[in-house]
Amino acid sequence: MIIRKIRIKNFRSYYDENEFELSEGLTLIIGGNGDGKTTFFEALEWLFDTTTENKKEAHVSEKRKSELEIGETDEVAVSMVFEHNGEKELVKRFDFQRVNESSVVTRNYQFIGYGNRGAERYSFDGKKMLEECFETLIRKYCLFKGESELNVFDNPEALKTLVDTFSGIKQFDRFVSLTTDFEQKSLKAATQELKNDKKVSDRAKELESQLVSVNREIQDYRTDLKNQEKAVSDYSEKLKILEENQEISERYQDIKDRLKSLYDKRARLTAQSGCDYNTSLLDEYWILRSFPKVLDEFQAKVSKLSKQKRKLDKEETERRAMEKGKKEAVKNLMNGAAPLPWYVPNKETMQEMIDEEVCKVCGRPAPKDSDAYHFMVDKLNEYLRHLEKENQADEEKPFFPNSYVDELHTRQIKMSGEIESEISNIHNEISDRIDFINARKSDLEKVKKEIQDVEDERTRILVNTNLTEDLIEKDFNDFKGYFAAKGRAETRIVELNQKLAAAESRKSDIQTEMSKLQPASSMTQAYQNVHIALERIMKAFERAKNENVNSFIGLLEKEANNYLEMLNENDFYGIIRIIKTVNDSARICLFSENGTEITNPGGAMRTTMYMSVLFAISKITTLKREQDYPLIFDAPTSSFEDYKEDVFYNVIDKIDKQCIIVTKDLLKTDELTGEKVLNDEKINQLTCSVYRICKAPNYNDKDLSTIQTMITHIK
Amino acid sequence: MAAEKLYDLWAKRNPQWEKRYEDNIIKMFTDYGKGSTSMREDRGKLLGPGYEIFIIAFFIGLYYDQRRPLVEDAAMLKSFGHPIQFWGNIDPVKGRKQYPKLREYIFTALVAKTDMDFISLDKGEITARKAVDMLIQTMEEYANFGFNFMADKMVDNPNYFFSETAFLEVFLAFDASIPKEEDEPESLD
Repeated sequence: MIIRKIRIKNFRSYYDENEFELSEGLTLIIGGNGDGKTTFFEALEWLFDTTTENKKEAHVSEKRKSELEIGETDEVAVSMVFEHNGEKELVKRFDFQRVNESSVVTRNYQFIGYGNRGAERYSFDGKKMLEECFETLIRKYCLFKGESELNVFDNPEALKTLVDTFSGIKQFDRFVSLTTDFEQKSLKAATQELKNDKKVSDRAKELESQLVSVNREIQDYRTDLKNQEKAVSDYSEKLKILEENQEISERYQDIKDRLKSLYDKRARLTAQSGCDYNTSLLDEYWILRSFPKVLDEFQAKVSKLSKQKRKLDKEETERRAMEKGKKEAVKNLMNGAAPLPWYVPNKETMQEMIDEEVCKVCGRPAPKDSDAYHFMVDKLNEYLRHLEKENQADEEKPFFPNSYVDELHTRQIKMSGEIESEISNIHNEISDRIDFINARKSDLEKVKKEIQDVEDERTRILVNTNLTEDLIEKDFNDFKGYFAAKGRAETRIVELNQKLAAAESRKSDIQTEMSKLQPASSMTQAYQNVHIALERIMKAFERAKNENVNSFIGLLEKEANNYLEMLNENDFYGIIRIIKTVNDSARICLFSENGTEITNPGGAMRTTMYMSVLFAISKITTLKREQDYPLIFDAPTSSFEDYKEDVFYNVIDKIDKQCIIVTKDLLKTDELTGEKVLNDEKINQLTCSVYRICKAPNYNDKDLSTIQTMITHIK
Repeated sequence: MAAEKLYDLWAKRNPQWEKRYEDNIIKMFTDYGKGSTSMREDRGKLLGPGYEIFIIAFFIGLYYDQRRPLVEDAAMLKSFGHPIQFWGNIDPVKGRKQYPKLREYIFTALVAKTDMDFISLDKGEITARKAVDMLIQTMEEYANFGFNFMADKMVDNPNYFFSETAFLEVFLAFDASIPKEEDEPESLD
């Protein structure tokens, strides 16, 4: 099959009609980012999709959609004109119509194939035609999106499908199954005959029972062996990854430890550098920073008050004492003779003398209205006045009834000494604290920077390997476990192989003995001979089948290595080996000539290795089907360097094979405009067909409806 | 029964402030009027209870030694309804500490700064109530100056105080020198 033309109409960025004419060899479709490379590839994927009738509105060109008037209709179509037993065409299309300002409906999905019968053109079911000319199985090995999809053997079924499809092994399968069936039936018949034979019946029964038992044993060993082999293969695979990445693992662990210690440090510094300056004014009494002056003022004031109060108090006490003394002195000076104290005689005696009109002091009568009588009445009155005065003197108000100044004085004493020095120190405490916090903040910034650097280093490690963080960690922790488990499985395999060999040998002995039994009946003997013949035929087919798989793989390897050599001109390339794994899938490996496996080939080497296998598969397909099929790649060379790129395209250019590569290689930056332009020098060296795709100028980078892919046929 | 101390009488009071500072300062920086069920951090305020900004305003007035009499119209005044004796007894929420002693320093400052005849007070010529009125007046006037100071700053830059160190910066600008010992020791007679 050779694709002649591809037409894309109103498919996403491909506005209106666009046609690519493809050469029989290499066609390059070159475009920068966003120019429509992947859309080209996806248009083909849509054309080749036979699983759904997809008429998504998302496929419709935004530009065309935006132009449609209400009620107006247009179509999305992708078609391919190709050569496959005559010229044919496949068209997939659907209509779209604007129904109102905001929506468009899609309808009339069609997938049609056209072919010629003589001079007439006929239409066919597109799906059917596609399957006939370019079947799903082959398409699987023809379309590749990006570099990561190139390893076709990633899928465990791939080798089997490939071998089944292209090696003719399926026919062997039929024969193997047929001859196995014959062998089983003839064995059953022969055994039955032997059991019925009078002469050997007992022994035959015994041998059959032994055979059943040994067969069961063999079956069990084989199952177990398969499991153990799978386990060894899995563990080896994991250990291999680990060994490849041992250095990385160690570095990763080191980084992890460093990070942990840095995270701890960051947490500590964050805690130390955190300070709520506003609440510290209150909580830490920082607001008292300028308080010493106020406190000093308070102390001076209270001290003065206290002194003043005590002074006043003293003065008042002295004044009162002096007043009292004066009075006493006046009394002392009367008539030169000391009078009786005011309280002699007492009140009761005085009253009695007045009532009886007799002075009992001098013993003379004192009749009423006499001088002596008046003297006694005056004396009594003086006594009473004294008493009253005495009482008044007792109740005299203190000079300072309140003691608030004393309270303040007590407070003043309390606030001096230690408290005073504490307050004086707040000023230093704040500046020390601020200095401390600033130092911690500066440390914190350094630690954060360090963390960033170490985290970047970790990211680089993860990016540079294909391992996830979990895998590195898990593998590192499980290393010993894997190693031990692999060892156990290997020991078990040795044991099982010995047991299996012993069982096989016992089986063979039983079978030999059975075949040597001399039955009485010649008919029974004939049954035996038939079985022996059929058993040999079955074994021959089994061997042939295995040979066929091996020779297919051998062929694939040989072809792949031819391509690898071509694609790696003037470079180291190694040897490709396709290794069958236990579960009948395959692994593509690269070896050095001295037998060392290149476990982790670089990006470009890996890509050329996979592409070589693809070219080989394609070549074998062509041989087997007597039909050639195109290979279509979307950006397969993103990990190539410029030099490698040049060699690669030059080689592909010369390979006799239809290849369509969509790529952003072979572009260069125009020194004047800064825009990407074709590298004419390199392109001129190629003989292939080249298309340049790019966005139509003057687009609005925020409006999808202004984007249109323009195609230019360069050569 | 011994007479109640001046400090205690003062601490039972609720100083007043001008209502005009309620929304743009007190509620802006504290949890005032928000109830006490949720934590300060949850509401993102710089300070906790309303009186905290009053204390800060007071100290600003004190250190500037500038008073600003309150408006006379009682309808334009308000208090926190939270007597001074409880100020600083805050819930020890995340990172906060109690600061009960600050009350005593405020009282000390008021005694130092209030022009009052304490001798007459002890003589009984002035009532304790009158004396406490005068202390409270000093307190309110200093705080009123502080509020006015903040309001002025915020007129120029509404976000002036919304920085990690804004209030601290205000206090760092005040003189913190320690007065020299000049007084002779008091004689004991």
